[in-house]
Amino acid sequence: MFLTMKVAFRNISRQKKRSFLLAGAIAFGMLVITLINALTGGVVGNIRDNFSHALGGHVFIMGREWTDAGQMIMKIRPDGRLDRLLEENAAQIEGFTRRSQAMPSLIFGSKQTMHLLYGVDFEEEDKLLGSLAVTEGSLNEVLTQDDVIILPQPVAERLGVLVGETLLIRLETLTGQQNVGEVKVAALIEDQEQLGLSASYISRSYLNALLGMDPHEYQLLNMFVTDLDGVEIFARTFREALRNPDEQEEVEAEAEPEVSVTVGGMPIDPLPQQEEVTRWEGTRYQVMNINQIMEAVELVVGVLNRVGLVIFLILLVVTMVGITNTFRMMMIERTKEIGTMRAFGMHQKQVKHIFLWEAVFLGLLGCLAGLVLSAVVTLVVGSIRFNAAPSMQFFLDDGRISFALSLPETILNTALVVFTSLIAAYWPARAAAKLSPMKALSSHT
Amino acid sequence: MKKITRIFVLLLLVLAAALAVGAQDKDFTHIEAILKRLDEQSRFDRTDFSALLTMIVENPESGIEKMVVRQFRRDDGERFLLLIQEPITEKGQGYLLEGDNLWFYDPSSRQFAHTSLKETFQGSDARNADFGSTSYSDSYEVEGYMEGVLGSFDVYIIDLKAVDDTVPFPYAKIWVTKDSELVLKAEEYSLTYRLMRTSLFPKYTKVGDVFIPVQLIFLDELVEGQKTQISVSEISVSDIPDHVFTKAYIERVNR
Repeated sequence: MFLTMKVAFRNISRQKKRSFLLAGAIAFGMLVITLINALTGGVVGNIRDNFSHALGGHVFIMGREWTDAGQMIMKIRPDGRLDRLLEENAAQIEGFTRRSQAMPSLIFGSKQTMHLLYGVDFEEEDKLLGSLAVTEGSLNEVLTQDDVIILPQPVAERLGVLVGETLLIRLETLTGQQNVGEVKVAALIEDQEQLGLSASYISRSYLNALLGMDPHEYQLLNMFVTDLDGVEIFARTFREALRNPDEQEEVEAEAEPEVSVTVGGMPIDPLPQQEEVTRWEGTRYQVMNINQIMEAVELVVGVLNRVGLVIFLILLVVTMVGITNTFRMMMIERTKEIGTMRAFGMHQKQVKHIFLWEAVFLGLLGCLAGLVLSAVVTLVVGSIRFNAAPSMQFFLDDGRISFALSLPETILNTALVVFTSLIAAYWPARAAAKLSPMKALSSHT
Repeated sequence: MKKITRIFVLLLLVLAAALAVGAQDKDFTHIEAILKRLDEQSRFDRTDFSALLTMIVENPESGIEKMVVRQFRRDDGERFLLLIQEPITEKGQGYLLEGDNLWFYDPSSRQFAHTSLKETFQGSDARNADFGSTSYSDSYEVEGYMEGVLGSFDVYIIDLKAVDDTVPFPYAKIWVTKDSELVLKAEEYSLTYRLMRTSLFPKYTKVGDVFIPVQLIFLDELVEGQKTQISVSEISVSDIPDHVFTKAYIERVNR
């Protein structure tokens, strides 16, 4: 085998120009598929990261409960079960936030704008203050005063409000009553609107009071996990542990198979039933994870990858035809050589293997060149910072295009190239092996 | 000794007078009766009601916008239908109240969406609840009152507190004429007791037994210069066919 490999390698290096062109064609195909895979991989990663930052975590827990008046409201009361779960899973939690939120009208004079407002426990979320880029004012006040607000610079400009001035917050309580708060602007921060992060911040207890909640209640528990691959299992742990016994019964009841009625073999569906929401006691939790939000994105990316694969396969077919023709030509060129080798005792199988090894080497060489070229392109393109439209920033990493190539995909693509090269070279190799030594030696080529 | 007795008797008298005044202040029976009558004389229980509403919304940022809305109302069964006729961009949009459910119809999507009486009407200063009958006596309890004068009218100024969360404003103050018992002015307050909206009802008309304001002015007390004025015309108490208060009707008028 080593001999056949050696001869095959020598043959490739003997016809440098031809080998270069063949490997070049394969490299181009490899370059295209690698770039598409790496780009889609990078985009998925960026969207996931940007979503996580925009939503403030990888796992999101919301609480719902009914009021005495029959209204469903969103809030989480202090709950020992939740605290225990946070404690038990602390090793898997990188960080968590407990926030309230509202979409109030911020009013200053005759101007008003609607803007997302987070109620934050600044002492609990000590990292938040460090992550905000202050353009004016100071963040010190938020730790000592409740009725102060941190505003993104563009929002302050829209309202015409300055640091130290007072603005009004108009919102509805959880039960829909009108309420107004008066807050002083403590600081202006750089806006991160392009990442969907444009939000103002205020003390959670102050916002809670406006929303009609107690100071220790909140609406969202968001968690960043240490291992994103295990996010589904992590979310399931919380979902199952927080499920109330009556919820468990409902889930089991829903799992029962539906009875279908057929008339003359035709299924007759009952009239669509009005979904009846039955009231429950206490808080019911809803646990979601980032993958549930990413499902739609991954669907689109999957289509892109499939389109890339089709382009790659078309390129491979074209290259395959080229390889087949080249190997047929090589066989004709080397007829005398094959005859000599066969006369000196080389088996048919060995002749065939020489051709097949050549195809494998060409394929591997092409793949390697394609990967090197891809690396160069990704490095160059990845280092450019684009001033893209805000909506595009969601796909980028700090304005840069990211590329992420998975090893299984690379191995699969390489295997595909080698396999198609082998198929392309198989028939010329078989024909070469079947040549009679006598005829081959008497050949004029 | 006599002097001490006199002072003691005087103190007792002052205390009794104070208690009597306090007791009188807490007796809101006649004010509650006024609220009940206010509600009764604003309800179209025996007839239907329809009118054309012309709304002028003044917004300091976006300027002045005119809206024309056709209103159909049947208080027996708490129903109303508001069909927007102008501006042309919003033509065909409608609000249908069926008991406790208020639906908003958008002809561009051909979809009905559930909305609330507490919401503002089309970004104006009027609330959806302003287009139905009033329910001061059911929704509010009297917290206090005083007598006063508004323009040339002798009025009761009544402080109200919502009995539950069903009304948008938790606190209100209304100015009710003593003779005709009509609300001329209302102030509505937030949960933090900040004045949010002032409503003025300078003109009324009597249709059968019912008094309805034909000019309504709503002033946003938080946004400087924001106000909405509504003029009511083409008033009719003729019977309205039942099918008008249905979703199918809104869809049909948009075809």
